[in-house]
Amino acid sequence: MTPTKFMTKLRILPAAVAVAIVLSACSSAPITTSELDGARGDFVAAQSNPAVAASAPVEFKAAADALDRANAAAAQRESLADIDKLAYIAKQKIATAQEVTKQRQAEANVAQAGRQRDEVRLEARTAEADKARMAAERAKADADAARQQADTAAASARDEQAKAAALQQQLNDLQAKQTDRGLVITLNDVLFNVDKAELSAEGMRTAQKLADVLAQEPKSMVLIEGFTDSTGSSSHNLDLSQRRADAVRQALVGMGVPANKISTKGYGAAYPVAGNNDAASRQLNRRVEIVLSQNGAPITNRR
Amino acid sequence: MNTVQHKVKVICGALALLGLAACASEKTPATADVAVSRAAVANATSAGAADLAPEEMKSAREKMMRANQALAAKDYKLAQDLAAQAQADAQLAQSKANSAKATAAADELQQSIRVLREEAARANTQQQ
Repeated sequence: MTPTKFMTKLRILPAAVAVAIVLSACSSAPITTSELDGARGDFVAAQSNPAVAASAPVEFKAAADALDRANAAAAQRESLADIDKLAYIAKQKIATAQEVTKQRQAEANVAQAGRQRDEVRLEARTAEADKARMAAERAKADADAARQQADTAAASARDEQAKAAALQQQLNDLQAKQTDRGLVITLNDVLFNVDKAELSAEGMRTAQKLADVLAQEPKSMVLIEGFTDSTGSSSHNLDLSQRRADAVRQALVGMGVPANKISTKGYGAAYPVAGNNDAASRQLNRRVEIVLSQNGAPITNRR
Repeated sequence: MNTVQHKVKVICGALALLGLAACASEKTPATADVAVSRAAVANATSAGAADLAPEEMKSAREKMMRANQALAAKDYKLAQDLAAQAQADAQLAQSKANSAKATAAADELQQSIRVLREEAARANTQQQ
């Protein structure tokens, strides 16, 4: 059995070591040293790691050859000192093979790590790009929303303006006057049937305009005041003025204005707006005044 | 190239050793072995083994010194033995130095990857 074959056997079947030693014992007594035992142990360890033969084949072969030489010296019963010398060299060569294996593995790790680093960098860059894209999309969405909001605001401002203009127009139609007590709309005598408290057709149309205005001014309170000229008894005049004011209230309620917003007051011949000397002046005094408070402010009574 | 030269040297050394087994008082092979070992020690030194494998380097240098002394004393057998051991020590020292450097490089790279990962993760969480 040549040393190399012996080693091959050893690689395949570690139990063969014992057999070989026993076999060699037939011809001569086995001799070994602790140095040689140590080298054999180191070699078995190197063998059990497949990476050693794969990564450091030259160094591993040199180590196996060195151990073969030491084993051969032991088989030929050379001096213990000679066996030790060869075993020492074998041990160092086995260690060298292990170190070379470590080096190769570390180099492989470096190559692997280089790829990993590139991957991580790529991931980081991708994430950065994604983030930038998302931020841009968010910014665009924000801008769109802001623009839409501005458009809506502008549209509603336009609506408000249009509504205000329409309201102003309606108030103009009613010949509303701005006073300290609020807007005052005067319904003159011709809107009532003579000496009656019923609104004429014309009067109903005016009341409808008034109801339209009130529908747009939900906070407004309304005070309806009735007046007459100085002809006739004062009790009759008071009664007539009150009934005319009530008639207007009735008409407005019928047109959808909440009743609780409207109060009435008859003043008779009091508070004339003209002298009672001629027919034209007396006609001016026969009237109903409607006071609109703005923004829910209470209406002060006449002093 | 270096390994081929190195192999040739090793083979020469082995041949010389066999030659020496034939005739015990051969002067030239011992001288050649010592020279080969000296080269191995020089290689290990330039690989940084003095710092990275001080024990093996110390052993190799000491054996080289004793091999030279044996050569001067014309004890060629001892010179050859010591040279062979010094060479084995020097080669181990060199391989240790090389593996230590490669391991350090791998560790450093792993560390840099870890830092890179952490930075990337931090940058991601910060902006989200």
